[in-house]
Amino acid sequence: MIVLKRSWRKYSIDNLEQVMKVKIKSWTGVATWRWVANDDSCGICRMPFDGCCSDCRLPGDDCPLVWGQCSHCFHIHCIMKWLQSQQLHQQCPMCRQEWKFKE
Amino acid sequence: MAAVRTADSRQQWEIIKKNFCIDGDFSQINDSGEDLQLVVRLVQQLGAGQLVLDLALDAIWLALRQSVVPKFWQHFVTFEAQTNGKEDDAGEGSVEVMSRVATAVSELYDSAGSFVPQINRCEMLCEQSGAKFEDCIPGGLMEHFKLHLRATLHSQMPSSFMHLLHKFYSAAFKVFYQAEVGSQVEESEEVTDEPVPCGGCGGATDACHCQAITNTFCQVNKQLYGLDLLERLAGDIISSLLLSVITDHVSTTCRDSYDQSCINQLEKWVENVVVGWLELVYCGSRGQLSSADAAIQTMVSNNLNQTYMTALYHTYTTTRIDQLFNIVIEYPESQPALEDIRECLDRTHLRDRLVESLRSAIQTRLLHPGVNTTDVLHAYISAIKALRVLDPKGVLLELVSEPVRQYLRGREDTVRYIVTSLTDESCSELSEELLVAAPLVLDDSHSDDDNMDNWETWTPDPVHAHNLKSKSQRTADIISMLVNIYGSKDVFITEYRTILADRILSQFSYDTEREIRYLEHLKVRFGETLALLHKCEVMVKDVADSKRINTSINSDENPHREKQKFPVSAMILSAQFWPSFKEERLQVPEEVTKELENYTEAFQDLKGNRTLNWKPHLGQVQLEIELKNRTLNLTVTPTQATIIYHFQERNRWSIDDLSTMTQVPKTVLRRKITYWQTQGVLQEVESDVFVLVEGEETGEEGQTAAAGLPLADIAPPAIEEDEAESVMASAQDQREEELQVLWSYIVGMLTNLDCLPLERIHAMLKMFVQGSVECSPQELRAFLDRKVRQHQLLLTNGLYKLPKN
Ligand SMILES: [Zn+2]
Ligand SMILES: [Zn+2]
Ligand SMILES: [Zn+2]
Repeated sequence: MIVLKRSWRKYSIDNLEQVMKVKIKSWTGVATWRWVANDDSCGICRMPFDGCCSDCRLPGDDCPLVWGQCSHCFHIHCIMKWLQSQQLHQQCPMCRQEWKFKE
Repeated sequence: MAAVRTADSRQQWEIIKKNFCIDGDFSQINDSGEDLQLVVRLVQQLGAGQLVLDLALDAIWLALRQSVVPKFWQHFVTFEAQTNGKEDDAGEGSVEVMSRVATAVSELYDSAGSFVPQINRCEMLCEQSGAKFEDCIPGGLMEHFKLHLRATLHSQMPSSFMHLLHKFYSAAFKVFYQAEVGSQVEESEEVTDEPVPCGGCGGATDACHCQAITNTFCQVNKQLYGLDLLERLAGDIISSLLLSVITDHVSTTCRDSYDQSCINQLEKWVENVVVGWLELVYCGSRGQLSSADAAIQTMVSNNLNQTYMTALYHTYTTTRIDQLFNIVIEYPESQPALEDIRECLDRTHLRDRLVESLRSAIQTRLLHPGVNTTDVLHAYISAIKALRVLDPKGVLLELVSEPVRQYLRGREDTVRYIVTSLTDESCSELSEELLVAAPLVLDDSHSDDDNMDNWETWTPDPVHAHNLKSKSQRTADIISMLVNIYGSKDVFITEYRTILADRILSQFSYDTEREIRYLEHLKVRFGETLALLHKCEVMVKDVADSKRINTSINSDENPHREKQKFPVSAMILSAQFWPSFKEERLQVPEEVTKELENYTEAFQDLKGNRTLNWKPHLGQVQLEIELKNRTLNLTVTPTQATIIYHFQERNRWSIDDLSTMTQVPKTVLRRKITYWQTQGVLQEVESDVFVLVEGEETGEEGQTAAAGLPLADIAPPAIEEDEAESVMASAQDQREEELQVLWSYIVGMLTNLDCLPLERIHAMLKMFVQGSVECSPQELRAFLDRKVRQHQLLLTNGLYKLPKN
């Protein structure tokens, strides 16, 4: 009982003594970005979405993704090239549905 | 006359004996009173020409053997007995030696001269009676006599004679040398009133007997020359004195100074001394050579060029070879010495010795663990530059530097050091090299190795060829040579990429100007198209993009800012283009997680369809820590920040609990926590238990174990966290992964073709695996050798094959 009391007392005193405050003035973190997509890589060029299409040198803003209404997505450069090569019907290369850009 | 004709045969024989001194009595040779012609005719009548000649010559040889030569040697034997045990005093001793030698030689000269009439008689007998002396040595009987004299002298020579003769010539040489060279030395010395002993003879200035020595010396030489003995007896001594003075002079001249060319000056010096001395010996005084015998002139000029100049080049080169390591290190100051050596190497056969010596100096002085990589590289760079001077074709360099390259290849920090110094402006030696706009010269084709075999046919470039090389060509090679340590651009750029990543993620500076500049230089040197360099470009662009994104998200207009407790910024990376990261876990404090989420939302709003994956352990945190009696402002890593953050809630944590709380493995925690120990904020009170140190003195004892101890007594933790630790997986690990791709091809080849040499494997890989993995033969060999060690491969007679199982 005495022992318990002593240890409790010690703990409470320690807490009373506790004055340290850690103030975060700024936090610089590190992150990798990625496209929010169902797939990891482009069905046309087979390159990862987080990289760029075979014609581009820089990923992200310079080689963005576009989504079709079929919910498939591709590098914009890849699908444009694909669509240009399709004379009759503009189809999604994955599901063969008619390709329409998602709004 | 009548006596000759009328005498009976006994008397006739007496007459013949007397006239040809057959009984060995040469005293009356000139006044025998007979007509020599008649005596000779008598001999002819008796048909005894050959007999008489043989007897007459035997008598002469006997006289030489029993009287002339022993008398000559007696001078030296008694002299030796007299001086034995006495102090070998240079001054007095040499005077004694001089006069002894002079007396003996002059006596020998006279007594040999006394045989001349008899020799002439015998010669006449030969001509008229057709008698022949031993095999008719060319040059006539006089030559034959001198030959016998020489042979007899040699056969009876006392052991100490050469030593004495050496003393004799040394003394004379000293006088000569003093007159020749000493005057130049003395001019520079201060004149003192003290009587200075003569540098030539060692006597006091007022009692100098240099002239006497020279006179005696010339007389002796002249007599010995007349007897055909000079060259035979003293030739070696005469030249050894010159050779030793050449050696001395060369090594003094070359001692420790490499910054001046001295070979021309040495050549002049040698010519001067050699010609002067030989003139003195063979012509009797200086400046007489032009009027001397053609034979002597030829002899002097041949000796000068064949013996003494050769000795000069040899001594010079060997002296320099011994110093070569220092000469190389001191490049470019040592350029003049190197040019001298290059000139001499063409005239000596010391190239092999140079290579051997420099290799072994490098081995013992450079290639051991006590020398840090910086210094090895510095020496390597100096060696490249210096050996290019010695041999513009690079053969020497190849031979000498291969062990250095091998060694550097084995040191883990080599590439890192090269890359760092290339891109570090404060290390001008290399970073300036990078600015040279020239494409890399790589020896990817290793057929160069074959050329080593016929390096005997090596010929030096024209002497001035190196002057024609432009600076850019020569310096361009430095970086090529450095990259060639690894034989592959990829290894090099991979390491650069890792360093770049570390630099970005440890400094968090958004200023990319410098990195962009270096990337441009690297592109020029390594080729624009190199895929790895492209990755580096994207990395640098990520930094610039992050800066823009941070500005936008943290701008006043951004609604996200309102709910912010503290500013958050980010380094946002394109994962595909960065080297792989070491995976580390960290659960950051709740309020931080929230802020990071806020930031992610703001990013999503900004970029649409893109989101962020945080690497919580990476980053940079600025903290203000209020303690009881002090406030600390610190910049720390997220892990360090998280650790101290939790000590706000509890002042005592065990590593176990903290690990559970933060998700950081215990070993990592132990390492990271030392930072707070060195800051004096935390203390380990028992194993793996840490408490907060609020102030330096609490005043109350026993509050906490930590508080009771004055700070000074807290031993600083032994292990400081290595802040420079890379956050990247090591370049070797990455490379090893790439090489593993080749392994399946190699196994396929060896399954089909049984066994293959390295070159074939390399060539086939080049054909089949084109482009995907670049690999030099050296790297491939190292890789295959590792496989051999792991018993996945066998190597016999240079052929690799798969083990049977
Ligand atoms: Zn694509
Ligand atoms: Zn594209
Ligand atoms: Zn579709």
